[in-house]
Amino acid sequence: MMLARVADSLYWIGRYVERAEHMCRLSDVMLNATLDRSEAAAQVARIALAAVGDPDVAKAKNPYDAALALALDKDDDGSILSSISRARENARQVRDQITTETWERLNLIYLRMSDPEAIKSFEDGSQLFLHDTIADLHLFKGAGDATMSHGEGWSFLLLGVYLERAQLIGSLLEVVFGEGRRRRPIGDHFALTSVLRMGCALEPYLRAHTADMQPRLILQFLMLDEDFPRSIRFCTQEIEAHLSAIIRHAGMAGSVGPDRLAGRLRARMQYADMGEIEAQGPSAFLKTVLDECAAIHGSLYDTFVAYPLEDRLPA
Amino acid sequence: MSVRRDEPAPDIAGPVGPYDEMLTPEGQVRPHYAALDARLSTLTPDELAERQRTQERFFLLQGITFTVYGAESSTERIIPTDILPRIIPGPEWARIEAGLTQRLQALNMFLADIYSEQQILMDGVVPRELVLQAPSYRREMHNLYVPHKAYANVCGSDLIRQPDGEFAVLEDNLRVPSGVSYMLANREASRRVFPGTFRSAGVRPIDRYPDLLLTTLKSMAADWRGNPQVVVLTPGVYNSAYYEHAYLARLMGVPLVEGRDLVVHDNMVYMRTTTGLRRIDVIYRRVDDDFIDPLTFRRDSSLGAAGLFNAYRAGNVVICNAPGTGVADDKAVYAYVPEIIKYYLGEDAILPNIETYLCREPAQLSHVLANLDKLVVKAVGASGGYGMLVGPHSTKAQQDAFADALRADPGNYIAQPTIQLSTAPCLIDHAVEARHVDLRPFILSGEKIVVTPGALTRVALRKGSLVVNSSQGGGSKDTWVLSESKGDPK
Repeated sequence: MMLARVADSLYWIGRYVERAEHMCRLSDVMLNATLDRSEAAAQVARIALAAVGDPDVAKAKNPYDAALALALDKDDDGSILSSISRARENARQVRDQITTETWERLNLIYLRMSDPEAIKSFEDGSQLFLHDTIADLHLFKGAGDATMSHGEGWSFLLLGVYLERAQLIGSLLEVVFGEGRRRRPIGDHFALTSVLRMGCALEPYLRAHTADMQPRLILQFLMLDEDFPRSIRFCTQEIEAHLSAIIRHAGMAGSVGPDRLAGRLRARMQYADMGEIEAQGPSAFLKTVLDECAAIHGSLYDTFVAYPLEDRLPA
Repeated sequence: MSVRRDEPAPDIAGPVGPYDEMLTPEGQVRPHYAALDARLSTLTPDELAERQRTQERFFLLQGITFTVYGAESSTERIIPTDILPRIIPGPEWARIEAGLTQRLQALNMFLADIYSEQQILMDGVVPRELVLQAPSYRREMHNLYVPHKAYANVCGSDLIRQPDGEFAVLEDNLRVPSGVSYMLANREASRRVFPGTFRSAGVRPIDRYPDLLLTTLKSMAADWRGNPQVVVLTPGVYNSAYYEHAYLARLMGVPLVEGRDLVVHDNMVYMRTTTGLRRIDVIYRRVDDDFIDPLTFRRDSSLGAAGLFNAYRAGNVVICNAPGTGVADDKAVYAYVPEIIKYYLGEDAILPNIETYLCREPAQLSHVLANLDKLVVKAVGASGGYGMLVGPHSTKAQQDAFADALRADPGNYIAQPTIQLSTAPCLIDHAVEARHVDLRPFILSGEKIVVTPGALTRVALRKGSLVVNSSQGGGSKDTWVLSESKGDPK
C-alpha cells in the first residue's frame, strides 16, 4: 500500500533520472565526434541533436555550445540539469519513501550541477564532467538497489526507468534507421560505433557480433537482444515484471489494463522477426512500439494514480 | 589559542550581565563544561573551522534546508548551526522536566475546561473575555471529546535562563511547534564532531523521540482502534518546515500526506493509495488550524481536506494537536499560567514566568507607555519575532509608532522587561565567542506526558542580538543533557 501521489513521484524520479543519463551519453558522444573533422563526425552530431529532439540543425555546426546548453541550461526543460532538478524535486516530495543513502546520491548530483561553478568545471573538461555525472547516476541507482526495499515503491521507480529507456532507445533508432528521414544511410564505421555508444552498447555488441559493424545487426541488437539491458526487448521484459509485481502487491490479480498491454508488447518484442521488420520498414515497427509504451503509461495512471473516486468508495 | 572569549559579554541593559553557560562570574569554567573546554584547547582555529564545514556539509547533503524565494530564482540554504554543544547538568534538567510536565498538565486541563464547563472563567481566575475573544479560541471545539484530555500532544516551550541562573518560560508553543528535527540532526552531527567528548560526558540519548511520538499519537485512538493508522499531514514541499515533516514521517514509518491525498466520505477520512482508499485514524497535522478544513475554517484553504473537522467531531479520526490549543499559548493568557497551575493542580509553578504587563489593564498600559525605551512590547497574535518592539534597541520614532498602536488597541499588546538571555560559547569565524541562546525542549502528551531529555538551543548569531528566530538571523546548536549523576548544578 502506498499513496497514489507517492507512486507517481517515484515513477517520475525513475523517468527523469533515466532521461538525464541518456542525454549525458548523447552529449558525450557528440563532443567526442567533434575531435574529428570528418563528414561522419558532423553526421554523428546531427544524429545526437535529432535524438534529443532538437530540430535546429544549425547547432550541429557548433556541437560544444549545443552540449553545454543541453547539460546546464536551467531555462531549457529538456536539459540534463532540468531533468536532475525535477528528479530531485520529486524525491524531496517523497523523502520519507526513499532511503537516506539513495537521497544523498541524487542530492549530490543536483548540488554539483546547480552550483555556479558547474559551468566552469564543464568548460575545464566537458567529457569528464559528463562521465562523472553518468557514474553518479549509476551510484544513485545502485544505492537504491542496495538499500531500498524492493517492494511496490521500487517497482514504480523502475517502471519509470524502463519505460523511459524503451522510449528513448526507440526514438534514437527511429532517427538513425527510420526511412522517413531524408538522409543517406549510415555506413561509416565511426558513425556506427557512435550510434552504439549512444546506447551504451558498444562493448556488449562487440562481444555478441565481433567488430563487424552492420546496420542491420546494430538495429537488431538494440531492439531485440534478450539480455542487453538497454535493448527495447529487455526493457519490455522489465516493464512487464515490475507491473505484475505492483499488481501482486496491490492484490489486484486478474486482468487489469496496464499488465495486458505490457504483456502484449513484451510478446511482440520476444517473437519479432527481423526479416518482417525489414520488409515493412523499421519505422512502422518502432512507431507501434512507441505507441504501446505511451498506452502503458496512460493505463498506469488510470489504474493506480488518477482513478475515479466513485469506483473506490466503500459501499 | 585561548578558547576563553577575549572580551566581556556584551552588556546591554542594567548592571547585571547575562548568565554565562560555560563560565562563572569569576571566569572559572563550570564543571559540566570542563571536558569540552579541555578538548577545545587542543584544537587549532583551522581544525575547528574544518569541523564546522563538515557539519554544514552534512546538513546540506541531508537536504536539511529551507528555501529562500528571491525575485528571479529560489535558493536553498541550511539553517546556520553551531558545532559547540550547549550543556545542561542532570539535576538542573530534572527541575526543567518537572516544571514542563506540570505546566503542560495544567494547560491541557485548562483547555479541557474552557472548551466545556468553563469553571475557571466562572471563578474569575482568568478574565472571560480574554479567553473567549482570543482569535485562537475555537467555538467549534466545544464539548468535543478529546482522549486523555490531551489537547496539546506536541508542545515546544521556549525557556530562557535569567541572570540569576534560573530557567523561566518565555512562551508556550501548543499549536504546531517545529524544530524537533534540528534537535535530532544537531545531535547526529555533534556525535561526529566531538565523538570522544560526547562518549565520556554521559549525554542522555534523545533518539527515541520518533518512537515516543508515534506511541503518543497511537494512544489518542487506542480506545477504539487496535492498531490505528497514523499519518503526518504537511502543507507540502514548499513549506519551510517540510524537511521536518518528511523526517518525522520517515522515522515513525508512517505515510506523509498532503491535503490532496485525503478524501472524507461519510465522516470517515481516507487517503488515496495505489490500491484505492485507506482509512486514517490519527492525523499528526503540521498545518495551522485555519487551514485544516475549508468547510469549517478558512474557505480558501487547499491544504486540508473538506469535511475533516466533522469527521473529527463524529469521533472517527483524531487531529493532533487539537484545533484551538493556540488559546493556551496566547501571549495575554500566558500571564495567567501560574494562576492556572495553582487553580488546577494546587501547586506553585516550578518554572516561573517572565514578568508580563497586560496593556488591556489601564494601569499597566500607562506603565508600559512611560517605559517604552526599556520594555519589549509584543503583539498578542504575532509570532516568530515579528510585530515586536525591543525598547532599548529602538529609535524614538519606532517607540512613538508603537505608543500610537498601543493606545488604539491596547488589548492586542503585552510588554515584558528586556530579558537577558544567557550566553553560550559559539564558533564564530574561527574563534570561540559568547552568543545569546534560549532553549526549546519538546514535551509529548497522550496517555502520559513525556519530556525528551534534550532540546533545540537557538542562538542569536549576530553579536549582541537577542533575537534567536531562524527567520531573523538565528541559528541552532545541539543540547547535551547530562545524566543525573554527571555535572554540578551551578
